[in-house]
Amino acid sequence: MGMQTPTRRGFVAGLAAGAAGLAIGFRLDASAQQAAPVGPPMLRANPKLDSWVRLTPDGRIVVLTGRVELGQGVLTAMRQIAAEELDVAPARLELISGDTAETANEGVTAGSQSIKFGGEALAVACADARATLVNVAAETWGVERAALNVSDGVIEGIGGRRMTYAEAAARVSLVRPANLAAQRKPPHAGTIIGTSLPRTDIPAKVFGQQVFIHDMRPEGMLFGAIARPPSYAARLVALDMAWAEALPGVVKVVRDGSFIGVIARREEQANDAARRITAAAQWRDGAALFGGKGAFEYLTTEPALTRTIHSKAAPASTPARTHVAEYRRGFQAHASIGASCSLAKFEDGKLTVWSHTQGPFPLRGDLARGLRMEPEAIRVIHAQGSGCYGHNGADDVALDAALLARAMPGRTIRVHWTHEEEMVWEPWGSAMVVKLEAAMGADGGIASWGHDVWSFPHSTRPGDRVGCNLRSAWYLENPVAPSPIVDGALPNGASARNAVPIYDFPGQRVTTHFHTAMPVRTSALRTLGGYFNAVAAEMFIDECASLAGVDPVAYRIRHLADQRLVAVLRKAVEISGWQPKPVVMGRGNAQGARLVGTGVGMTKYKNSDSHVAVVARVSVDPATGVVRLEKMWAATEAGRAINPDGITNQIEGGMVQAASWTLLEEGRWDRGRMVSEDYTAYPIIDFERIPPIESVLIDRPDLPSLGVGEGSQGPTGAAIANAILDATGRRVAEIPFTPERVLAALRA
Amino acid sequence: MKAPATQHGAAEEMDMPRITVNGRATEVDADPATPLIYVLRNDLALNGPKLGCGRAQCGACTVLVDGHAARSCQVKLGDVAGAQQITTLEGLGTPEAPHALQAAFIAEQAAQCGYCTSGMIMQAAALLAERRSGLTEAQVAEALEHNLCRCGTQPRVVRAVMRASRQQGA
Repeated sequence: MGMQTPTRRGFVAGLAAGAAGLAIGFRLDASAQQAAPVGPPMLRANPKLDSWVRLTPDGRIVVLTGRVELGQGVLTAMRQIAAEELDVAPARLELISGDTAETANEGVTAGSQSIKFGGEALAVACADARATLVNVAAETWGVERAALNVSDGVIEGIGGRRMTYAEAAARVSLVRPANLAAQRKPPHAGTIIGTSLPRTDIPAKVFGQQVFIHDMRPEGMLFGAIARPPSYAARLVALDMAWAEALPGVVKVVRDGSFIGVIARREEQANDAARRITAAAQWRDGAALFGGKGAFEYLTTEPALTRTIHSKAAPASTPARTHVAEYRRGFQAHASIGASCSLAKFEDGKLTVWSHTQGPFPLRGDLARGLRMEPEAIRVIHAQGSGCYGHNGADDVALDAALLARAMPGRTIRVHWTHEEEMVWEPWGSAMVVKLEAAMGADGGIASWGHDVWSFPHSTRPGDRVGCNLRSAWYLENPVAPSPIVDGALPNGASARNAVPIYDFPGQRVTTHFHTAMPVRTSALRTLGGYFNAVAAEMFIDECASLAGVDPVAYRIRHLADQRLVAVLRKAVEISGWQPKPVVMGRGNAQGARLVGTGVGMTKYKNSDSHVAVVARVSVDPATGVVRLEKMWAATEAGRAINPDGITNQIEGGMVQAASWTLLEEGRWDRGRMVSEDYTAYPIIDFERIPPIESVLIDRPDLPSLGVGEGSQGPTGAAIANAILDATGRRVAEIPFTPERVLAALRA
Repeated sequence: MKAPATQHGAAEEMDMPRITVNGRATEVDADPATPLIYVLRNDLALNGPKLGCGRAQCGACTVLVDGHAARSCQVKLGDVAGAQQITTLEGLGTPEAPHALQAAFIAEQAAQCGYCTSGMIMQAAALLAERRSGLTEAQVAEALEHNLCRCGTQPRVVRAVMRASRQQGA
């Protein structure tokens, strides 16, 4: 997973490994909190109460979270959670997030875990603070705590007695370890959680106020840019430094091995100088990417680490039939609208870095190793960036800015990558191959299921104890090697995320074929392997249903034991007006000049989080192979909803993004690097291709909140794939489903 | 530190380019060939226009030039020096007196990260100025086709523009 932090690796790794089981221990209701060990794991790991909540005698209420805003609305949700437990109006809270000098170390904000883990810890800390302050009033007035009420931060007793939180806070210390057993408000008593509080950051964004890291302009700031090598393997042979430093606007050129950074007075001058330096410098090139092979051929023929990571033996029987199929997905990019950016200032031996990283603490550790500094001499402060959707260039650019800032002490240096730099140099989402096999009984049901996945890494984030995963560190005169690469373990998994069936098949096997060598550097793209494993599995089950001659929905329900999944499937079917019928392979559904089809897909994200079912309707032009999305429907259940509109925004946004991945996106490379460097070479979905979307949320206040930010991608890709199968009667095995591939399938 | 290099010695003898942004005329100490986006963001400290792809493919840098939507990564400073009126998100409205689109984007919660939001609003503002009433969702989608959002908030953006359009027509 690569989400470990240097200080608490064991803890977070255990958390990742135990997430599915832990969900049971994270009940929000009071009774379930008696289970050992006491308290939320994130609070146990960061037990200082004042790293979560501070109530000061001057009346300020500061709430702190190690989670960071990525555009997913997490700070609004955290505000709701804290306001609920403190009994304070949400607008009164001040929020601090992701600052290594202030907040708890919560690793990275990723994997749809913020609410489930970070939110629970914050809630218990705030419940502790509230109980402590109420106790002050109770003792002062000589009454039972239970007799007191809190209204917007004012403790009220019988006979009109009042004590503000500020007054109570003056009489007690909240700088102490948190009470891990503090009792949260029961869900039915809540008035703020479960409401669609408007996002607190949106007004500033629509009025052009300073929100983004890109908008920070400290006095005396200079602009930096990096002169990138012409390929990943290229190394610098010679550069005329005197010529480079005389380029227009250039203040300084920093060379360290094959790392060349430029500091200039103006942003466009820095970028222009970097471009000219790359072109003028003399470079030594390396070997061709993938040894000249295609990525899928490379994945399935080069040595890989093969492990069967999940198996369940089926009762011995002779299958009536078997079915085998293989699916492929190319490299896909985060393709953020705003490229990565960072500011850094080096002064008196201390470095301050402003970053839109997903993990301020893990980044600090890798910065320390990359710069050969002590972590304590570095402060990382989060500032919002453009949406990242996983591990993009956000962390890398922080080292770039730091390397330049160190060369010019006392000045803040800002580096904002160009879009083409982001597309070429960021870590990409891995190309993958999935092979599925099923043994079916005489009744058409699946008796055993095998899932093989070939993949490059899905997390090479900063945050291990050794090495430096920030790209420029590898190009220094004395390079700092990256950390060892491991695949994420089940139940969350990385290359095998969502490879373990959600269906109750008697026999099951999941085998990973994992590559640690990365000709093209890869890392976390939203859902890691989850999107493609789910798409492949859901495509395959439709093919099995077709072989059995059964409607895809009925076939799924027949194999499902998880009633929460059944509930979202039934809801998606209901709102979409699903017409039950078996899919007939080899026969399309013509309607006028077009082929039309409807498909369904579903997952339980990471086998532990949100339950999402999606239905998609498509039409296909048989003359061109162009797929048009006509409509999509989704049903979601993620336990107790903190902010229903926030969930809907995430689910719908994920559907749009997954539609883009599924129909349009594929990175291309030349001998030495990715070449899909702009939105013409790497198109993403636009307004005209997006269909109407109808999304329904099933709220379960009686159940723990589950991660939702990555819930809809897999089901959406699968629903589109299965709609194409229904429309054409043909399987298109490679994502994206380009017109060429659809046409080839139609003509096969 | 070296003395700042002079990019174009000749420019110093000429008058500095003068542009009018959000109703205020200002002189800019930059080469007339400088893309407008850098001038707006770095010289005038405006946050609204965002630098996206730099190739006129994403729309994040969209501003209005005499009421027409323009990609400020492609417009040169010298092209708009003089009488043209440049409007950025900041010039459209304020929290106290929001433009109908700004109010509608809040009402529809039409953002996730919000990096594309300024460009979306400016492109839509040009559309609403042309089309005072009777706007359809298809027309909104067509007008915004070259404004990209990676978070997937397009359905909400369409709803927000429709809401603003209805308010404008009312």
